[in-house]
Amino acid sequence: MKVAVCVKHAIDETELKIDSSGSPQLRGAASKMSTFDKNAVEEALRLKSVHTGEVAIFTVGTPEAKKTMKEALAMGADRGVLITADPMSMETSRTAELLAAALKNGGPYDLILCSEGSSDVYSGLVPPMLGEKLGLPYVGYVRKIEATGQTARLERALEDSIEVIEARFPLVASVVSEINEPRYPTLIQIMQAGKKPLQEVTPEALVPGLSPSPSLVTGMKAQAMARKKVVFEGAPDETAKKLLDALASEGVLPR
Amino acid sequence: MSVRLWAFSESEAAANDVAAVSSVLTSSAGGSYTVVGVDEAGAGLAGEDKIVLRGTEPLAGSPEATAEALARAAMDANPDVILVGSTRNGKEIAARVAVKLGLPCVSDIFGVSLSEGKLRGKRNIFAGKLIAEVAAPLPCVATVKLGVLSALPATPAKAVVRAAGDVKSKTRVAERREKQKGTVDLRAAKLIVSAGRGVKKKDDLAMIYDLATSLGGAVGCSRPLSSDMGWLPEEHHIGLTGVSVHPDLYLAVGISGQLQHVAGIKDSKIIAAVNSDRIAPIFEASDYGVVGDLYAVLPAIMKEIKARHH
Repeated sequence: MKVAVCVKHAIDETELKIDSSGSPQLRGAASKMSTFDKNAVEEALRLKSVHTGEVAIFTVGTPEAKKTMKEALAMGADRGVLITADPMSMETSRTAELLAAALKNGGPYDLILCSEGSSDVYSGLVPPMLGEKLGLPYVGYVRKIEATGQTARLERALEDSIEVIEARFPLVASVVSEINEPRYPTLIQIMQAGKKPLQEVTPEALVPGLSPSPSLVTGMKAQAMARKKVVFEGAPDETAKKLLDALASEGVLPR
Repeated sequence: MSVRLWAFSESEAAANDVAAVSSVLTSSAGGSYTVVGVDEAGAGLAGEDKIVLRGTEPLAGSPEATAEALARAAMDANPDVILVGSTRNGKEIAARVAVKLGLPCVSDIFGVSLSEGKLRGKRNIFAGKLIAEVAAPLPCVATVKLGVLSALPATPAKAVVRAAGDVKSKTRVAERREKQKGTVDLRAAKLIVSAGRGVKKKDDLAMIYDLATSLGGAVGCSRPLSSDMGWLPEEHHIGLTGVSVHPDLYLAVGISGQLQHVAGIKDSKIIAAVNSDRIAPIFEASDYGVVGDLYAVLPAIMKEIKARHH
């Protein structure tokens, strides 16, 4: 089974600093593989261990994104393709277009996996756009994958129901984090990841004559989150009283 | 500017929610909107001007076929904006329609407005740490965050049926299981008591339910309890990948306060927390916090509530 996983190198939202004027300090911010993408890589590796085959990682990213590539390779992926462009400065549909073009060049793949959304912007649009652009069956928000011969059974989680979907390979799917527990690479795997093939390709080489497709984001600012941060410590009887007094004076307790 | 909007969702309730956004938008920017539903919907849809999409087979439950039907109808009518309710299937439908029609697409927007030929809105990014402003040139597709405005009521006006013809899906739904339904809608709840990993076993959720009941509130939880442990149905899961809530009081019990969880509660009027870890991030996101073992603090709170009611 040939599996491709589309991942994103993202600014670590937990480390993102806001300066005193309320502007985010994006330059030089700590970055990592988008959180749920690890679940997509893990699922690809799990399927490879059962069905044999190959796992290839695709990303649209700046040179920084090699860090995420190496992490996926250290987890056990076989090779990586880095499309050298900044996904934050282009429209979501352009990211999907570039990934689709690279997947066609490198394929065919039996399965193309994404996570449900990236941990930075979480638009959730790239996976269904990929399915649509590639003209393949697409199943979103998958929490279980069973492959038998040419067909797959995929369990997907919707807001109010669980669906079991049957589809034929090749197909595109997005996964939710409960699908698995991503592995941690060993030190040896991390060292060996540097020797695995990592191909770089420019957008122009993939899709000649691209017209500009700038990001639709016009600005970003810190979320106003002014909370009172009053903390009570001490004996439970005392702190319980203080809490209820405070909540009563805010008028948020039932009378 | 006279804009023509489509307010679409695959479910009637969400379509009427989107209609509320469209109504506000068109009354301030000028223009009109049409509420668009699928299959047998029509009587349940809001608005005088409404369309129901039908295929040769039911569209509901197939985002692929629904997107094809919506795109075909939109190609004939050329609306300036297609707004879609931001459900999981809604996002897939919007993304597919945008690709089919070659239109720009943004997701999960709120605070929507129209100016200078662009649809503008805000969306939460970096797990709600930042708000991004987005602007999509018309015509465009956007999914709107649900539950921000109250849904418009259904009106008796007849819907125009648009036959989409034969729209097929490349996948087949072999089985559909409804998730266990709760009795309270968290999006509308005024008071929520929410449980996290600090709760050691499923049976102990009874304490959370007791407290919620005594305060007349609903029960929510952080992701691990619904998704990993399966102690509560997924609809109780509050956070970035679950439900976003805006109660008057949100009481987080044994929840550490990861960004993904805080993203779903930041619109609460007052946030309170009980946690044994003084440096848990939830205290940074709270108005009031109690540092202590929930197994000691919750009974004390219950005792105090009872004392105050006598």
